[in-house]
Amino acid sequence: MSPQEVLDHADQLRRGLGVDFRDRMVTSLYEESRRIAARVVRRRGESSWDLDQRIDRIVTSPVWGLPLMLLLLAVVFWITIVGANYPSEWIARLLFSIERVGAALFEALGAPGWLTGLVWHGVWRSLAWVVSVMLPPMAIFFPLFTILEDLGYLPRVAFNLDWLFHKAGAHGKQALSMAMGFGCNAAGVISTRIIDSPRERLIAILTNNFVPCNGRFPTLIMLGMLFVGAAVPPALASVAAAGSVVAVVLIGAVFTFFVSWLLARTVLRGQASAFTLELPPYRRPSVLRILYTSLIDRTAFVLLRAVMISAPAGAVIWILGNIHASGASLAEHVARSLDPFGRALGLDGVILLAYIIAIPANEIVVPTMLMVYTGAGMMTEAGSLEELRRILVDAHGWSLLTAVCLMLFSLLHNPCGTTILTIWKETRSARWTALGALMPLGFAFLVTFLVASAARWLG
Amino acid sequence: MSKQAASTPDCARCPAGPGRLRPLGDRRAAFDYLVALAGNPNTGKSSIFNALTGLRQHVGNWPGKTVTRAEGGFSYDGVSFKLVDLPGTYSLLSASEDEEIARNFILFGRPDCTVVVMDATVLERNLNLALQIIEITDKVVLCVNLMDEAARKGLEVDVRTLARELGVPAVATVARTKAGLGGLVATIAGVCRGEIVCRPRRPAVDGKLEEAVAQLVPMIESVAPGLPNARWVAFRLLDGDHRLRRALLTGELSRLVSEQAAPVERAGRLIAIEGAQ
Amino acid sequence: MTGFLSLLFLLGGLILLLFAPRLGLVPRWRARRLRRERAVTEDGLKHLLLYSLRGQPATQESLAGSLRLSARKLVRLLARMEAKGLIHSTAGHIELQPDGERRAREIVRAHRLWERYLTDELRTPLEKVHSEAERAEHTLSRERLDALEAHLGHPLRDPHGDPIPLANGSITEIQARQLSDCFAGEKIEVVHVEDEPEFLFREILALGLRPGQRLQVLESSPEAVVVWDGERRLRLTLPEAANIHVRSAPDLAVRPPGTIPLDQLPELQPAEVVEIDPEFRGLARRRLLDLGLTPSATVVAELRTPFGDPRAYRVRGTLVALRNDQAEHVWVRPKEARVET
Repeated sequence: MSPQEVLDHADQLRRGLGVDFRDRMVTSLYEESRRIAARVVRRRGESSWDLDQRIDRIVTSPVWGLPLMLLLLAVVFWITIVGANYPSEWIARLLFSIERVGAALFEALGAPGWLTGLVWHGVWRSLAWVVSVMLPPMAIFFPLFTILEDLGYLPRVAFNLDWLFHKAGAHGKQALSMAMGFGCNAAGVISTRIIDSPRERLIAILTNNFVPCNGRFPTLIMLGMLFVGAAVPPALASVAAAGSVVAVVLIGAVFTFFVSWLLARTVLRGQASAFTLELPPYRRPSVLRILYTSLIDRTAFVLLRAVMISAPAGAVIWILGNIHASGASLAEHVARSLDPFGRALGLDGVILLAYIIAIPANEIVVPTMLMVYTGAGMMTEAGSLEELRRILVDAHGWSLLTAVCLMLFSLLHNPCGTTILTIWKETRSARWTALGALMPLGFAFLVTFLVASAARWLG
Repeated sequence: MSKQAASTPDCARCPAGPGRLRPLGDRRAAFDYLVALAGNPNTGKSSIFNALTGLRQHVGNWPGKTVTRAEGGFSYDGVSFKLVDLPGTYSLLSASEDEEIARNFILFGRPDCTVVVMDATVLERNLNLALQIIEITDKVVLCVNLMDEAARKGLEVDVRTLARELGVPAVATVARTKAGLGGLVATIAGVCRGEIVCRPRRPAVDGKLEEAVAQLVPMIESVAPGLPNARWVAFRLLDGDHRLRRALLTGELSRLVSEQAAPVERAGRLIAIEGAQ
Repeated sequence: MTGFLSLLFLLGGLILLLFAPRLGLVPRWRARRLRRERAVTEDGLKHLLLYSLRGQPATQESLAGSLRLSARKLVRLLARMEAKGLIHSTAGHIELQPDGERRAREIVRAHRLWERYLTDELRTPLEKVHSEAERAEHTLSRERLDALEAHLGHPLRDPHGDPIPLANGSITEIQARQLSDCFAGEKIEVVHVEDEPEFLFREILALGLRPGQRLQVLESSPEAVVVWDGERRLRLTLPEAANIHVRSAPDLAVRPPGTIPLDQLPELQPAEVVEIDPEFRGLARRRLLDLGLTPSATVVAELRTPFGDPRAYRVRGTLVALRNDQAEHVWVRPKEARVET
């Protein structure tokens, strides 16, 4: 008998079995399981309503469920932002002093000026920036997130919010990949693996970028303080600044739902979908594992990828800032040619240039902008808010409109290089990767253009 | 069922003998036996994996769940084992990617032993998967984990009866405190070496289906003589499993048997499974 | 000189725009026309096959009517099909040739498999699947169809109840009779709902009748047929009943009274699963089964979200969230006792 004949015979037999034979198979398996379990497991005493069930009543309660969730999220963010401040400063101070020492050493050894500049003021400085901005928040955010995950709370969040995502054609677990995206969009994209339905998973991957990652947060916070905070009485400044950042995050959420809805109805219409969500019992998290998974698996992994990608960017930035032609650096030439386009979007050429250079890592957007504005040969930081205001507002004509457009652009523009690479690794499809990179960029151009035009039209 | 398997539950709380169990981390050297780790989600499968290999999961294992395959090793009594952590699934019947990875590895990856990690608090649900796995392979060890939580909930789980019901050895463990792991490793080693012989009890299904399977099994055995799980292959063919159809047509299935019969050189054996990663 | 040059460039550009291989307007237009021609040919073959399966002779008029073609275009189509050896036509009577018949069966297979895919996996409403499959059937390759068939678990019938041809083209006709011929008291299963004329099809769907559904005939008179679907009494006019094909199924139970969909089960009220809707198929059904929602399993609704959807149910010891649009397909019978809190 040939294999083909066996298959044909199987096909024939299947027709005799009727459509529900798969049902009967599963049913008989479960019946057998129940029979065995009844013999193996004995129950001592009455089964009572246990602690898990009591906790679940509270965390998914119609009254307390959502406020509790928002409170927890706010606490996590507060700890992350406040807690990251000082370590960020220390690391920056340490790394930048290494830069000074290294550069001095190169000079003492008689190395040519361009080499010192390229290695220390270009590559090293870019690394230092990325590490000092990125590392502390991630090292705090990821362990906190992992604690909630290990406790079993995160599936409850997905459960609570699923209705909203369902309306948009997405999966409740997307709430988790979005939360992860606050730490890093690349990590957020990877975390969509928990969504086991192909269509919903693609939606989560393609929209993760609309959650601002911690590389973009400093820009948002700076703009909030400088423009929105300054526009109101000093007593309300910090509230207004924080409010503006929250507003941007909310706009991002609205965009996520809108784009999810759009994708589910257009390009992803033909993909299969099935919803499953288990609410596992609460477990005591094991501290060692949390520290390990969150620090080694997540933080170090993301940091390593960012470092690999931002080092060459540092070199490029230095070259653009230090090679001069007809009286201006290359960076200035490029910025000038981008200027008309930038203006149409309510931005300017320098900002666009910074975003092009910062495709590998969003952390270096502001330093690059300042480098070009001040004509310094390396990425620069302003000493104080006052100095920043002088550079941006007085010398280069930034207005509230510039700030609003920049916040929107920062929220919506294309994902960073690491994230694009991750999208490709996760989907193995050039088509989805291209869509994931270009669709947000298109939205960013469109929205900023509309806002800028509307503002100009209204005067 | 050999004596040793029945006795392992007594050893549920004895620690691993000093120097006998040695975690090898993810050292990718040669190994003597290949062990697959299967189970439902949230059964503490990863804790068992970590406790045995000394790893704290592999880089690339994201949110709580084992999403890609993690691999690690340990040695026991001077024999080295490679442990492959399969994705957690409720069943092996659906067409989801996770289930395909698990199913294909247990069949085509040819593990010397497959450990099914079960949650003692919801044994009924976990038995569904265990019953499916003993259809695919004889060499199965049941690891009834989370015994402490079961006790807290007032449940008494009798692993001896469980072993007798399914015809494969069963070991009670608490991965968090490492209780019972010594017994687990000893049982795994026993099954791999052939010292413990499993005789899985495979329950009959309802009439019409059983008839169809009975017709198909001799046909499959004539195409791939010596196949240990012709019954399961028959189920899969009736279910229209694309991968298995191809394996039968290309002769991969019969090759599987001949390779299993001859002891192969394990060193550096490449375990590539389709659909993984 | 510059004028001449720019004219040259303009002309060159225009030629490129029109005739560039693959991307130019002319090649694109030609490709589109070829695709359309193929689609019309295939639709014609399908029409001929379906008529011959029904035992009706296909005529030029029936073909022209079904494809909405003018007489001139029909003649051209027939000539083309005959030249390819797909058909043989004599004096208004058209006959399929072996090549044509094979192709026609492939198209019918593609159409019906695609309809199955749309209803099972994408949960497309039944009234929309036909028109979507009309478009898709011309674009599916043989390999894709084979993979699709395996993925769907080798379905026997399309969502209307028509048999799906095997890969080798064979079609197993289903023994069925019209609902209007049934007697009172008979237990039956719907196997096919005629999708033409469309207004009747829509009326039948609006009543909630689908292939796979089990019914009990309560009354049968020359004016109307009354059936019980486990929940409601449905009154069908004779033309409606004549468009529903059924087979008698004395062993199949109609859902017992007192069964409710799972999404309407009160919280903390234990219930026993009776069945999952027969027409709820595909990956979604398999997932529910794998989670342990098999007949006679006990299920308790424990939690609901602030929005009321999804709810979490305890099934075989585990808490599982189901959306209401999934739970409504699971039928349960509430038990007496309530869970103590």
